[in-house]
Amino acid sequence: MQVSKESTRRPAASKAAGRSARTRARRRATTADIAMMAPPLVLVAGLIIVPIAIAVYLSFTDWNGFTSPPHLIGFRNYVRLTEDSAVRHAAFLTLLITVIGTVACNVLGLGVALLLNRNNRINAFLRVLVFYPYVVGAVILGFLWSSILGTSGAVNSVVGAKHALPFLSDPTWAVVTVICVIVWSSFGVNVVLYLAGLQTVPDSVIEAAKIDGATPWQTFWRVKLPMLAPTVTVNVVLVVIGLLRVYELILALTAGGPAGETQSVVYNILTSSFDNTQLGYGAAQSVVLMVVIVTVTVVITTARRRSEQAVAA
Amino acid sequence: MLTKAYYQGLVAPFLKSHPGVTVTIESPSGKNVQSTLQQELVSGSAPDIVASTLDPVVAQQMIAFPDSSWVTSTPLSDSNKVDGKNWQVATGQQNQSLVYYNQTAFQKAGITTPPKSLAEFTADLAKLKNAGYVGLQTAGEWVTGAQFSMMANPGLLGDNLNWYAERNKKKVTFEQSAYNTYLKAYAGWIKSGTVPKNSLGEKYQTSIDNFLAGKSGMFVMGSWLNASVNSAKNLPFKVGVFPTPTADGSTPKQMSGQAQPYSILKSSKHQGLALDLVKYLVTDKNAVTASLKSEGNFRAGYSYPGTELDAAVGKIVDTAPGTVNGTAGPGVNAGFGNELNTVVQSLYTGESADKAVAKLDSWWNANAGQ
Repeated sequence: MQVSKESTRRPAASKAAGRSARTRARRRATTADIAMMAPPLVLVAGLIIVPIAIAVYLSFTDWNGFTSPPHLIGFRNYVRLTEDSAVRHAAFLTLLITVIGTVACNVLGLGVALLLNRNNRINAFLRVLVFYPYVVGAVILGFLWSSILGTSGAVNSVVGAKHALPFLSDPTWAVVTVICVIVWSSFGVNVVLYLAGLQTVPDSVIEAAKIDGATPWQTFWRVKLPMLAPTVTVNVVLVVIGLLRVYELILALTAGGPAGETQSVVYNILTSSFDNTQLGYGAAQSVVLMVVIVTVTVVITTARRRSEQAVAA
Repeated sequence: MLTKAYYQGLVAPFLKSHPGVTVTIESPSGKNVQSTLQQELVSGSAPDIVASTLDPVVAQQMIAFPDSSWVTSTPLSDSNKVDGKNWQVATGQQNQSLVYYNQTAFQKAGITTPPKSLAEFTADLAKLKNAGYVGLQTAGEWVTGAQFSMMANPGLLGDNLNWYAERNKKKVTFEQSAYNTYLKAYAGWIKSGTVPKNSLGEKYQTSIDNFLAGKSGMFVMGSWLNASVNSAKNLPFKVGVFPTPTADGSTPKQMSGQAQPYSILKSSKHQGLALDLVKYLVTDKNAVTASLKSEGNFRAGYSYPGTELDAAVGKIVDTAPGTVNGTAGPGVNAGFGNELNTVVQSLYTGESADKAVAKLDSWWNANAGQ
């Protein structure tokens, strides 16, 4: 049977009608899409994009927060922050807190989660106990620990003035104290996240590993941990972002002392911006911190995704 | 702590005589009043009047007060002018070059008269330590640098009130100034243990508590400490006060600051009314006296019944050869107070006085005009 080409084609008029109908439908869909996306877009623009743009603009000015209008000074703030020893020290300290804190929070978080993974009353109470510091405000915790570890604090009152420990008065001790208090106050949320992750590991897989003769350590290392990879990624990213922005706890615990040894990047930004009325310089530091946070987050997420894909393959 | 209730009480008589006028008292929502004002100016919600000490950088946002006698007669009106204009008017003045001391500790240490020179002060610190006391009560946070400036600023600025301006022109240096002398003395106190090396682990309030508990012999602090001493119950000793020591033993000028100053914003839509209120607050006898009493401040021509300690501070103020500024004000680079605090604290962490004073000079050079 021959079928002519003509008969398979629709007439030109109907083709045009179809095209315009599709275009109209597409337009309707686009309008609907825009209408649906407008509220979140406005929110994101208003709360994130515009403030970032303003911060970037201010970072190129010498604005002090009171004069108007701000004067553009090019890259002078960025050059200055590469020469500023206080900025360098704050960056090093923040890096130290982030690296040690991230490892400690995740190791402790996962360890405690494994210990509390069974559902019983004691574990339920212990979970609340571990999570509690995370709920309390950082400023309150800072003051609490300073009253415990200060020179005239609870610990040194017991030890006695002659043998007083310089928790907050010696630079090295103060840095260690700050890191310990930060880890203690932060890892509760990691415990909760790891507990949630452990719930997703199927019992059948654990049972199969046991039947195959795997030891508890082998079960954890070869079965549970690979299956927890997405949870690890979330935990690492959350802790890194949190620690790169650490401020309130340091303010209340050491006020950046002794001799500026515990001043973090954000502490420095706020001091520059408000105490020293150098908002342009503070904005430049903020922009650099934002770039670092975005970069680190992307790098960690990409690296973890690749390793997860490798495990899956 | 000046509460909302305190300010409401202060303005109440004014409101009575101005029917239809309302005054809303606002607490700072930021780190302090100045940072709150910074945010409010940006958001367009600045108040009419600010009641706080502010940096000169804020002056251009404020109206210039008229050259009337009620303005020029307010405390320290001359030393806080910007471009020759008064933009803040104060109710009283705080005096800060004071050493509060434990009279019982002095007796036990065999100190018969308060020290006048740095050498005598250093010797007395050693005596107090031998008697079992902390020689000089210091603390971390902002206290370290503040106490240092209370002691050293009369020496830095006493003979040359334009010292900061000259430093900006590089005519003078910190290395060749009284700061170097005081930094060396301070480093010596830490080395000898008369100032405990672990003092930086103390909070401001703890340092007050320690002094009032009788643990330390001396405490350098501003006149606002009177309020804490006066309200302390069952003090185990009597508190005395003397001016901070000078290198040669002469009577120092008092490092002073404006107490409870007021400024009016250019953006205010009620400038006339705001001016009336500020004038009332800094001239009305009852309002001024209530304000002076609230923090133990002083003002020539105004008096209020006080304690023996209040009278002793008043006598020091009356006999002082003048006043000097602190670490902020016209000609001082923003952030100097913070830097000085860090530098003085570095003496506790093993930095030498020579390096500390060099740091101050290099910081000033790097931040001039910032």
